[in-house]
Amino acid sequence: MKARLLAGALSMLLPMIALAGEYDLTVDRIKIDTGDFVKEGIGYNGKSPGPELRFKEGEEVTINVTNNLDEMTSIHWHGLILPFDQDGVPGISFPGIKPGETFTYNFPVVQAGTYWFHSHSGFQEPDGAFGAIVIEPEGREPFRYDRDYVIQLTDKHPHSGDRIMRNLKTTPDYYNRQQQTVGEFFSEVSEHGFMDSVKDRLAWGDMRMMKADIEDVQGFTGMINGKGPKQNWTGVFKPGERIRLRFINSSAMTYFDVRIPGLDMTVVQADGNNVQPVNVDEFRIGVAETYDVIVRPRDAQAYTVFAESMGRSGFARATLAPEEGMQAPVPPMRDPARLTMADMAGMPGMDHGGMDHSTMSDMDNSSMAGMDPSSMEGMDHSGMMENGDEVSDPFYAKGSGIAPTAANGGKFLSYTDLKAQKPLYEDREPTREIELRLTGNMERYTWSINGVKYEDADPIRLQYGERVRFKFVNETMMTHPMHLHGMWSILDVGAGEWNPIKHTVSVQPGTTLYMETEVDAPGQWAFHCHLSYHAAAGMFRKVIVEGGPEASQPSTEAATDAGGDA
Amino acid sequence: MNASKFIVAAVAMSISVTALGAGAHEDGHGAKSGEPAKASEADRTITVEMHDNYYEPEAIEVQQGETVRFVVENKGNLVHEFNIGTPAMHEAHQEEMMMMVEHGVIQGGKLHHDMMEMDMGNGHSMKHDDPNSVLLEPGQSKEIVWTFSEKGNLEFACNVPGHYQAGMYGDVNFN
Repeated sequence: MKARLLAGALSMLLPMIALAGEYDLTVDRIKIDTGDFVKEGIGYNGKSPGPELRFKEGEEVTINVTNNLDEMTSIHWHGLILPFDQDGVPGISFPGIKPGETFTYNFPVVQAGTYWFHSHSGFQEPDGAFGAIVIEPEGREPFRYDRDYVIQLTDKHPHSGDRIMRNLKTTPDYYNRQQQTVGEFFSEVSEHGFMDSVKDRLAWGDMRMMKADIEDVQGFTGMINGKGPKQNWTGVFKPGERIRLRFINSSAMTYFDVRIPGLDMTVVQADGNNVQPVNVDEFRIGVAETYDVIVRPRDAQAYTVFAESMGRSGFARATLAPEEGMQAPVPPMRDPARLTMADMAGMPGMDHGGMDHSTMSDMDNSSMAGMDPSSMEGMDHSGMMENGDEVSDPFYAKGSGIAPTAANGGKFLSYTDLKAQKPLYEDREPTREIELRLTGNMERYTWSINGVKYEDADPIRLQYGERVRFKFVNETMMTHPMHLHGMWSILDVGAGEWNPIKHTVSVQPGTTLYMETEVDAPGQWAFHCHLSYHAAAGMFRKVIVEGGPEASQPSTEAATDAGGDA
Repeated sequence: MNASKFIVAAVAMSISVTALGAGAHEDGHGAKSGEPAKASEADRTITVEMHDNYYEPEAIEVQQGETVRFVVENKGNLVHEFNIGTPAMHEAHQEEMMMMVEHGVIQGGKLHHDMMEMDMGNGHSMKHDDPNSVLLEPGQSKEIVWTFSEKGNLEFACNVPGHYQAGMYGDVNFN
């Protein structure tokens, strides 16, 4: 990448002219080597991840994107606040970038922090088309560090995105390698008795899902900054230095539980926005989220950055060390979590003990007959993890099998710990509430909102100037990282004016989550689950903001084309 | 909070207060942070601004034996501390401050003074009245007069949980 800074001499003559930078990106077909396998993929300027784009708040950026593929492409600047026609979603912001064409993005950088960019066309992002964005603030950072590193995570799969989607559509459990085995069944029998174990299996089968459905695409290699665990990306430091680690989860489908054995981490930023610092031992990073942490290794030794997938089907690993080549032990992965009945409490008819048979139309009543609330209760507990009677994270269903605990028994970051460092908006009552039920059918691998997939849905219409409260009700048994483009998601953690602002919010199975949005960006925007194959299957909406400044109304041209790609 | 947790907290409180009592003037290596003095004894005044979450200035120069009157102003939107000590003393004090947050004494920009009087057992409270530190709500200003009687590895720091780790500290450099 070539960054041509035009500010220099000009700005001395004309102090009113803002800093301006020009950047070139090419979209290329490349080879990606994970250390476990080599695959064809897509990258920027010949590699994946692409170059780290370093901007300055207040800068006017020009980014020339040249499409060297034989298919359409696009780049979405994830988390950046910009005019909607620069947002890079084909069919919503613009028509896309044709093969051989160069498209020039131009927008002012109005924020600071850690963000990322990725293709919003087809499955180019899972295939490798992403990179990091780091924006330096106009003023000083409200914290101190001696050096910083981007830690960009991904879940690299040997199959192409297109092939994965095809396989999921024909056989939704194609990539579920953790299905319970006969052996596991018999160990359950010895623990819980034959009838309860049989009932448990029957219940899960009837609900068209399995306890091991935490991750629907397994068999990947976790990567950090383009390196697999064996290739071991290493960041060097001098003992005693403070290091800012900018974690970005660019995975297609995978949540990671991140820890650095031997180091405390202080979380100072989430999704590009500073939060009141919180010391943690471990945190879970949802797909598309970012977390910035400060660590201070005092000893001249190596430390392992260990990121286990939420379902424990794979991990990414990197090293912090005083010099290249040093290594620390890599811990074994913990046992896979299992979903419990609590994670399904949001499913229609699964309201706690009292099951309403009338709404479970597609279930086989003969096997349901044997299920009374008391046996449900028993199953619920059988699947619970050790943390059952600890103070549970309110962002997970009570008794959830996937509620996280720290490997060292210490502090695991919760959404409730996130408080804005400096609230961006004045706190006010929302003008209205919009309920969005996150829905899906695992058997047909359809994912939707309010039971309607994208291609059949009307856009969500918002009025410029209103403050909307979104109520997400997760009626599926999977976690969905919901991403609204163009406007901030003010996550309700019960902290009032200190509620943090994010660009992606994770809605856990069987839970209801609220976020509010100040509708301050005219135009039309994408709003979707950031799990690539869920978005593509239909858990996606177009949002139209009506009203606002005249100049920023969408032209009819941008609105054409065949719907937004994930 | 249930009864057993309260007892654990109370015991931990009394332990850390004891540790601080010793630590306020001396850490394990015999280093001293100095001692309180009267305003009339001050050689000069240094104004320290506390922001979210950093100090201005981030370093001060002192002479051994010098008495400095610090005027500490909280210009931020969160509660902050100004505490003179060695890194080890700060670390010990951070556990105390964690407890103050866990008990709701410190909540973002609010200090609940009534709770600071709460009896934590063994005659201890969460008053936070050590002479080497002040704890301020946004907009508040207070003074500390301190004599730097011995050279040592000293920092001024905010031990509100996470703030020190995020970088809210400054160096005391002896000339």
